[in-house]
Amino acid sequence: MSAFWFYVFTLVFFFFDYFILAMGLNIQYGETGILNFAYIGFVAVGAYMTGVAGMPSAGLSGQHYILGLNLPFPINLIIGGLSASVLAFFIALITLRRLRTDYLAMVLISLSLVLYDISNNYIPLFNGADGLYNVPEPFANALKLTTNSFVPFFAAVTGVVALIMWYFMSRITRSPLGRTFRAIRDDPTVASALGKGVFRYQLTSMLIGSFYAGVGGGLIIQFGGSFNPTAWLPGETFVIFAVIIVGGVGNNIGMIVGALLVETLLIHLPALLPAIPGHPGLIENFDAMVIGILLMVMLWFRPQGMVPERIRRSRFTLPEFATSGASAAVMTSGPAITADEAPGAEPSLQAEQEDAQ
Amino acid sequence: MTPSDQTVASPDVAGGSILSCENITKSFLGVNALNGATFDVPKNKITALIGPNGAGKTTLVNILSGAMKSDSGTTHLGSVDVTNWESYKIARMGLMRTFQLSRELGGLTVLENLLVAPKVQAGESLFNIFFRPRLLRREEQQNIERATEILATYGLYELRDNRARELSGGQKKLLEISRGVMAAPTVFLLDEPMAGVNPALIERIGGYILDMKRQGMTVLMVEHNLNVVEKICDFVIVLAEGKTLATGRLSELRANPEVVQAYLGEVISASTTN
Repeated sequence: MSAFWFYVFTLVFFFFDYFILAMGLNIQYGETGILNFAYIGFVAVGAYMTGVAGMPSAGLSGQHYILGLNLPFPINLIIGGLSASVLAFFIALITLRRLRTDYLAMVLISLSLVLYDISNNYIPLFNGADGLYNVPEPFANALKLTTNSFVPFFAAVTGVVALIMWYFMSRITRSPLGRTFRAIRDDPTVASALGKGVFRYQLTSMLIGSFYAGVGGGLIIQFGGSFNPTAWLPGETFVIFAVIIVGGVGNNIGMIVGALLVETLLIHLPALLPAIPGHPGLIENFDAMVIGILLMVMLWFRPQGMVPERIRRSRFTLPEFATSGASAAVMTSGPAITADEAPGAEPSLQAEQEDAQ
Repeated sequence: MTPSDQTVASPDVAGGSILSCENITKSFLGVNALNGATFDVPKNKITALIGPNGAGKTTLVNILSGAMKSDSGTTHLGSVDVTNWESYKIARMGLMRTFQLSRELGGLTVLENLLVAPKVQAGESLFNIFFRPRLLRREEQQNIERATEILATYGLYELRDNRARELSGGQKKLLEISRGVMAAPTVFLLDEPMAGVNPALIERIGGYILDMKRQGMTVLMVEHNLNVVEKICDFVIVLAEGKTLATGRLSELRANPEVVQAYLGEVISASTTN
């Protein structure tokens, strides 16, 4: 396979993977209003746990990591997703109950930095800054895949995983549960006044979104074959935020557009381009500049994103409104206070009122 | 017994009280908003909560609905002590509320605003979403039919697919009330439902409130429009300086010098000036 197609399938992989990551952040932020600035931390936890669940025991490999269960794909991927959800559960217990959106965002940014520092420095658990390497490539041995043939194969696998996860996410966001998430996003006080236990629903949203983060991270570590803490810098969260803001907050189709525009075309495509002579660092920093400008432009001119949140129209029509004239009548009329039913209209009461005046 | 206590008459709660509070106090940074408010709200009646600005009416509504915690005192919903319960638990007990400034769920359509309201929905469970789709569809269809009928009653049918944030002020008031009705509450707290709406709409909202009573609901409404109070309310609770000043029919209260001095006189003089 030529280098060109290698790059193309690499881009395809990142497109599908960031579609999954964007769906996870979208249900937390776009649907439920949780400003999860530690999202990349959950991606990293999913990546690490997928890796160590799929790798053999550390033994004499020279690496330090836990588990080493040698589990096959996709069981290790599911463990990665569930691990991110478990972390989300404890963080949500601590933060969501007490903190409003802005304070929650600050705590989560701090948490993201703490997670990064721990993974970068704690050798017994995460192998420190060396990270993990030699992470098994799924099905590579069974299907006798080479490095070249593994890339398109795993891009296709990621595509299938993304489609399955899109199906599940669509079922959730279209359901009454998704509607309650959006009610909480719009006004948690009103949602609570309507009998919705806001914390419970936010927790559910955090668990679902973090599972998606963990799976997305697990796919990345298996695609690249290594886990390096520097790949999970807290700033990476904002790339995923850019994906959902550009694509369209609250719309799963928008996540496809965002993943294509931001992650595939703006981040990974320039990274694969050859360096510009005389400006060796320009391409590497290109993505941060473009994303910053793109976010400003989008928020100024099209805050709803490329594919805005759709209006869920009712398909049910009342029979009596089949003709347009009837509806106009009801629009302008309604029950009114009539003399015989209003307590204040009783003769004796009226007389007392007149006396008082 | 202090002179103030003598003026607090017991409301006519022959049918029983469904909502009551006793000695509710609440202060903000040392300023007392509520200073021992005590009253009973009779069942299946329309009760008005009136009083001068700053009397603590909205604070009381917030405390009764669980949006705010009191410093001391107790509240009962039926026979259950719901003091300082979280608002969603109180809502699930059957108490709904509206807000002084309408708070619509702006990103949702008008119909969706109502569909959120039923307190317990099978479709809010992940298990049911994936393993009981028929139950979900049936429940959703029933809720949509009922919500659409309520919207038709409240004159919002044609706007059912509009985002709620696009509605006018009066329409938002109607949406908030209809959303509460969708939840089929036993007690409905209305915080100034007539504020900022035109006279024709005031008539309509008054009619809707009477409808609620006919359907068996108990209504407690904060209201400054005494004409409306006179026409539709069975009982009136007067709140002044965070305390219950008096309770009874408005006609009786007009003869109460303390009430006239604290509130009614102010209203009458204001209306004369205007």
